[in-house]
Amino acid sequence: MATPVEMPKLGNTVEEAILVSWKKGKGDKVSNGEIIAEIETDKATFELPAPVDGTILELFVKEGDLVPVFTNVCAIGEPGESVESLRASGGDAPPAAGAEPPQAVQSAAVPPRQAAAPSSAVDESALSPRARRYLRQRSMEAPPVAGSGPGGRILEQDLIAYFAANPKVSSLARKHMEEGYEIRGAGSGINGMILARDLDAPGQKLPKIREIIARRMRDSLGSSAQYTLSASAEATGLLSLRARIKAAAGRAPDININEMVMFCTVRALIEMPELNAEFINGKIYRRAGINLGFACDTEKGLLVPVVHGCENLSIAEFAARVKELTRQTIDGTVSPDNLTGGTFTVTNLGNLGIESFTPILNVPQVAILGVDAIQLKPVRRGAGVEFVDFIGLSLTCDHQVIDGAPGARFLKLLREKIEQVESLAELNL
Amino acid sequence: MYDLFVIGAGPGGYEAAARAGKLGKKVALAEKQYMGGVCLNVGCIPTKTYLRSAKLMTDCREASAFAIDVSAPRLDLPALAARKDRVVGTLVKGVETLLKRSGVEVIRGHARLTSRNTVEVEGQPCQAANILIATGSRPAVPPVPGIDSASVVDSSSVFALKQIPGKLAIIGGGYIGLEFASFFAAAGSEVVVFEMLPQIASGCDRDIADRLHRELRRQGIAIRTSVKVTAIEKNVLHFTEAGGEKGRFEADSILNATGRQPVVEDLGLERAGVDFDRKGVRTSDRGKTNVPGVWACGDCTGRRLLAHAATREGIVAVNNMFGREDRLRYETIPSVIYTHPEVASVGWTEQELEAKGIPFKKSQVPMAYSGRFMIDNPQGTGLAKVLVGARYGEILGVHVLGDSSSEFIVAAAAMMEMELCASDVAGVVFPHPTVSEAMKEAILRAAE
Repeated sequence: MATPVEMPKLGNTVEEAILVSWKKGKGDKVSNGEIIAEIETDKATFELPAPVDGTILELFVKEGDLVPVFTNVCAIGEPGESVESLRASGGDAPPAAGAEPPQAVQSAAVPPRQAAAPSSAVDESALSPRARRYLRQRSMEAPPVAGSGPGGRILEQDLIAYFAANPKVSSLARKHMEEGYEIRGAGSGINGMILARDLDAPGQKLPKIREIIARRMRDSLGSSAQYTLSASAEATGLLSLRARIKAAAGRAPDININEMVMFCTVRALIEMPELNAEFINGKIYRRAGINLGFACDTEKGLLVPVVHGCENLSIAEFAARVKELTRQTIDGTVSPDNLTGGTFTVTNLGNLGIESFTPILNVPQVAILGVDAIQLKPVRRGAGVEFVDFIGLSLTCDHQVIDGAPGARFLKLLREKIEQVESLAELNL
Repeated sequence: MYDLFVIGAGPGGYEAAARAGKLGKKVALAEKQYMGGVCLNVGCIPTKTYLRSAKLMTDCREASAFAIDVSAPRLDLPALAARKDRVVGTLVKGVETLLKRSGVEVIRGHARLTSRNTVEVEGQPCQAANILIATGSRPAVPPVPGIDSASVVDSSSVFALKQIPGKLAIIGGGYIGLEFASFFAAAGSEVVVFEMLPQIASGCDRDIADRLHRELRRQGIAIRTSVKVTAIEKNVLHFTEAGGEKGRFEADSILNATGRQPVVEDLGLERAGVDFDRKGVRTSDRGKTNVPGVWACGDCTGRRLLAHAATREGIVAVNNMFGREDRLRYETIPSVIYTHPEVASVGWTEQELEAKGIPFKKSQVPMAYSGRFMIDNPQGTGLAKVLVGARYGEILGVHVLGDSSSEFIVAAAAMMEMELCASDVAGVVFPHPTVSEAMKEAILRAAE
């Protein structure tokens, strides 16, 4: 009996995943634990190991398919074993590329055409939807071609056959167009024939993670009323604490300035829980626990790992957790559960020298803190002026639920926390 | 006011003038020397007339291979010159007839631009909406002391030779030098070619050039590459080899075949503000110069220096000037070296593709693959070499060494113009038996 390989459930919130690529093909011998495919959730990429030794008898899904969890993606067994019973049931398998959708309904409305009599002026309604799209994508007009569909309807395949046989597009250009190249303008060949040089390279499809980021950002701006407040906090305490930690290297936990600022944010949120909330379908949900997300720049794009239950963590525990999650996120080994459940987010561009910016809300959260660079500011002290280090803070709130004044009060509170970081940290250095 | 004023009646100028005339435009054409230009009078046509006789000489010598007994052939140079003149005369008349039929007004004399829309011919100003510069080229004169000696001829004055020289030194192993080497060797001269570069037939694919080199050497032509001619004293040529050794060669005649120089002087180009230098008038692939209304085609642009390129450039310019978008696709212009054996090429060479970093596949088929080639060339060897794109198999270059390749290279040019891929050529039927079958086989093998 062949063994099915399921799409695993990669975390409590994961319902489906993309099979990005097969590392093994039909007929390949695999051993238990050998990687057979790469899969991607909306959070991260994972490898799918073979559960048993054997031969891959059949692949049930194609690369790029979105597959519900616990669905069989392939079968492993001895050559010759039947696998049909393991194939995922249901008719939702994507249609084969190039297949024309059924058209019985549409064609009933189309008067029968003389299939054998191509005319020079082609009636748009004689084109199937796919044929219309084929022409639109290539900025081409309908050619005088006899349709082979019901009632003489012109199908995409009729157009492909026509353009393949017609010197309007050169053989080389056609090969490029099959790979998605698009016609830019008029053909520059003899009689306006379209040559390869008249084509533009196809646009690149976004990787899954980028698609998700794009959708989230669009949704964020489309569903909230965002405003950003900027302020700065004296950073003397942060710098001094950091210097003391460095001096005590080995004897003290390693905590960097970003972790200190995030820890201060947690402390401020404990006192002002209205910003530790989510706004969903017109209802505000104040979250009891503080799950602090932090933006993490990875090779694949932005990911936001979440430190759960921050209110119960010491600064050392908090910093260690941030470091652990950062490493896992960059390695791609972070659990999807650690990429969800955030109640407030911090994003830091200060290390890149950014002095002020407008963070985009991680909806449905109602606020996000941007951490900016540390800069010297002149401060009046008695009769003189001193230059003091300040760290910039950019707080974006959803005006639907957080007005400007509470937003500003939160920033004021956060500034105080940052300026008192040395006592808040409660470290014996 | 003319719609178009053409300066120069070579294959660039006269074809363009005739085309514009046929479009119903008011056209004038000025020519100061030859109707038909260098090509017809002292270039392509005369050399091919001479080379035809040379080929016949060779055939006579090799007649026994064809089961024919021929006594030792002898070339009658004055009679050949007369035949050449008859051929040229007929063709020149053809040009004159064409221009007349097309309604082109021909003006004899030296034309100069006096502004961007005025040309002066022998003191007579002519207004024109468009001016096409088609002044061609002349033999280049290298800075070698003694190059003006009486014993030195160039590719034009060589036709005035009264007898076949016993010993002929040819400076330059490009297509001009090699064609004359082929002729004079067949006619009985002892020929030595001096080429400055390490390879003859510069610009040619290296495999083809190397094979041609071997073939010409087999025919008794001495070829010295990487040699710099340093001076000419009367009929003695002094040279330095790559290693620095000096040498001398005493010849009855010395042929300067070091290339051609665009004719751009004394044309009033400066006055009209046209961008040019000694390498030629700068043009776009639509034939435009930097000055609106002033166009250029042919050798004077310094681009391809081929008669058929000039013709096409002239037509492209006329199309664009009268509202029909057109452009030149230089990469599909074929070129031929009319030596025996001939070389015909179109597209990129292997060395050019390597330099450009274009991934390619190649195939080579000996010409003996073709039964017809074997019949025609009992002693001949040759090669059909095809280069195609590694991914799509589009034809990037076709290079053939072998007689009659000049007649079928156009098939490869058409395939490239239509962007056929090598596998498409399986559907093109080549007549059998023909020499071109070797080229088809090379294209199909490249498709594999």
